[in-house]
Amino acid sequence: MNFSWRRARSIAYKEYKHIRRDPFTLAVTLILPLLFVGLFGFVIDLDYKNLRVYVRDNDQTSVSRRFLQEVASSGYFKLLPVHGQLELERALMRNDSPALMIIRQGFGRNIRNAQPGQVQLLADGTDNVQAGIMGTYIQGALQQAAAIFAKENPDISSLSAPAGERIRSRFLFNPELNSRWFIVPALSTIIIGFLAIVLTALTVAKEWENGSMELLLSTPVRPAEIVLGKLMPYFLLTFVDVLVVFVLALYVFRIPFLGSFALYMTACGVYITGALALGLLISVVTRQQQAAIQFAFAAGLLPSFIFSGFIFPIENMPLFFQYFTALFPQRWFLLISRTVFLSDAAPAVLGGALLAIVAFAAVMILLAVHKFKTDVEP
Amino acid sequence: MNENEIVIRVKNLTVTFGTFRAVDNVSFEVYRGEIFGFLGANGAGKTTTMRTLCGILNPSGGKVEVGGKDVSSSTAVLKPRIGYMSQKFTLYPDLSVQENLRFAGSLYGMDEAQIDIRARKIKSFIGLPEHLSGPVGQLSGGVKQMAALAAALLHDPDFVFLDEPTAGTSPQTREAFWALIRRLAEQGKTIFVTTHYMDEAEYCGRIALMERGKMVAQGTPAELKKQFFPVKPLELSFSQPLIKQVRQALAEEGVASSVFGDCLRVRTADRAAFERATRPYQKGFSVYETEPTLEDVFLEAVSGGRGV
Repeated sequence: MNFSWRRARSIAYKEYKHIRRDPFTLAVTLILPLLFVGLFGFVIDLDYKNLRVYVRDNDQTSVSRRFLQEVASSGYFKLLPVHGQLELERALMRNDSPALMIIRQGFGRNIRNAQPGQVQLLADGTDNVQAGIMGTYIQGALQQAAAIFAKENPDISSLSAPAGERIRSRFLFNPELNSRWFIVPALSTIIIGFLAIVLTALTVAKEWENGSMELLLSTPVRPAEIVLGKLMPYFLLTFVDVLVVFVLALYVFRIPFLGSFALYMTACGVYITGALALGLLISVVTRQQQAAIQFAFAAGLLPSFIFSGFIFPIENMPLFFQYFTALFPQRWFLLISRTVFLSDAAPAVLGGALLAIVAFAAVMILLAVHKFKTDVEP
Repeated sequence: MNENEIVIRVKNLTVTFGTFRAVDNVSFEVYRGEIFGFLGANGAGKTTTMRTLCGILNPSGGKVEVGGKDVSSSTAVLKPRIGYMSQKFTLYPDLSVQENLRFAGSLYGMDEAQIDIRARKIKSFIGLPEHLSGPVGQLSGGVKQMAALAAALLHDPDFVFLDEPTAGTSPQTREAFWALIRRLAEQGKTIFVTTHYMDEAEYCGRIALMERGKMVAQGTPAELKKQFFPVKPLELSFSQPLIKQVRQALAEEGVASSVFGDCLRVRTADRAAFERATRPYQKGFSVYETEPTLEDVFLEAVSGGRGV
């Protein structure tokens, strides 16, 4: 196989001219990531703050008040006290709060006796994520209150005794569990991968549709030269996106970047090469712009959201799907992206993930070359 | 240079798409420096045959040789020697003429300086303005065709394949195009051209007639005329409005005729039948023998002599 760099460069230069003369593509490529990461970064915030919670304190002791103070000071809840059964029912009917908390009579006594204090939480189950998170928060506040109470009242012997074994969690790398820190690196993975696939998905199909492929095939140019030639300019274009999103993450969203910049940029380069090559493969196989763009949307969006771990944690998936997600580079790059942003992990930690995206890129390029049709048979 | 050297040899070529036979057992030979015309209606298999010759379509059966080499096994060697101008407009509409030529040339391994020298030569040969700025897509149809021809000739190929190069262009452009084609042949290039304009076929050295994937005749225009018209066709010029009646009468005798303006053309060797049919109307027209055109040949060949 006589691969000619000169011909590959000619294809690249021609492709560069197409891009330069297509202001729409250029605009979409540069503006879409800003819009996507910008909007989503601000809108998606999985942290709950100031949730309205009606509270009825049936205990009315210093212990229950101390507990409520603790709950309120967390910042997650805005407590709205209600008095009497009637008011409680009205509050319930107003339907303007996701939860209602009732402190049982005897709550203070129980705590003093080192028994579990009883709090009833009625949460709106239509938002199960929110309900679950609230339950956890309240549980935490309850423990906190008990601990503080024990400290403040060392005279009560029963409380000074260790309250059994307890798990104490400390969150490393993202101590406040700031969801934006978690989401923005992931968003950049998705948008850059998606753009890369869509950009190249049209290029070969377009040549088939407007007839220029016939001319190309009648010249000595080879599929590998066309594939690499088309990859080069789009690689540069997509890399501009990588830098734009990186700057956005660091300076607009103030995400810390603790890892190796060189490692991250290398990984980005490999990841977008794989995505661009997948786009080319789609284009090579469909040979039709309409079909290519549909496949590209599916290939760019579905795995990004479903199989990458962005929305659904991979550890919670059935075993088959845990292995299945390994096929998608988005999963690996997401891991790399989050790790490199929030920790200074050694490259060796990400060895497997890096290897996976390199393998994906290589396989996509080979497939695109292999599947390239060199005759015009319909 | 040997004028009688066979440079394109097609033997029992068959191309099928699924169950459809686009080209069915076609054989022919083309000599060096010849203008070989491929004639037929749309869908007759002309483009398919040409594409297999250019190596961009694989034959389902038979043998295709260009320049003494098998096309399917020697594509890499042959492609630089082949210039192909598709029926479709295959240049990039968003690039200028010069950019398109530079791109095409670079794929043949020419460097920029070589391309520019060659491009200037080709442009003046074709009569394409030296400086055409702006994207090709915005040029007129005739200029576009000229630019596409320039791209096909840029690398100085030995074999030039032109697929309906004059389709949809003005009579002036067609005239100019054929003048160019003749000059290319004079330079020793072998030209393989398809067309459905019968008058254009007169410019060809030899022609092949295609009909639904099959070759129905081949030879020089003169040979074909002689072969299909041992007796010359008749033309009837009317002094009275009798065309309809005469056609009717001829049809009843099994004699085909076609209307050309206010004349009637009759392609039949059966003079007795003609006499019988036209006797009642004899005073209304004058009759004379004419030279058969390739159009007559084509109609005769595809109808297998049954008349249309």
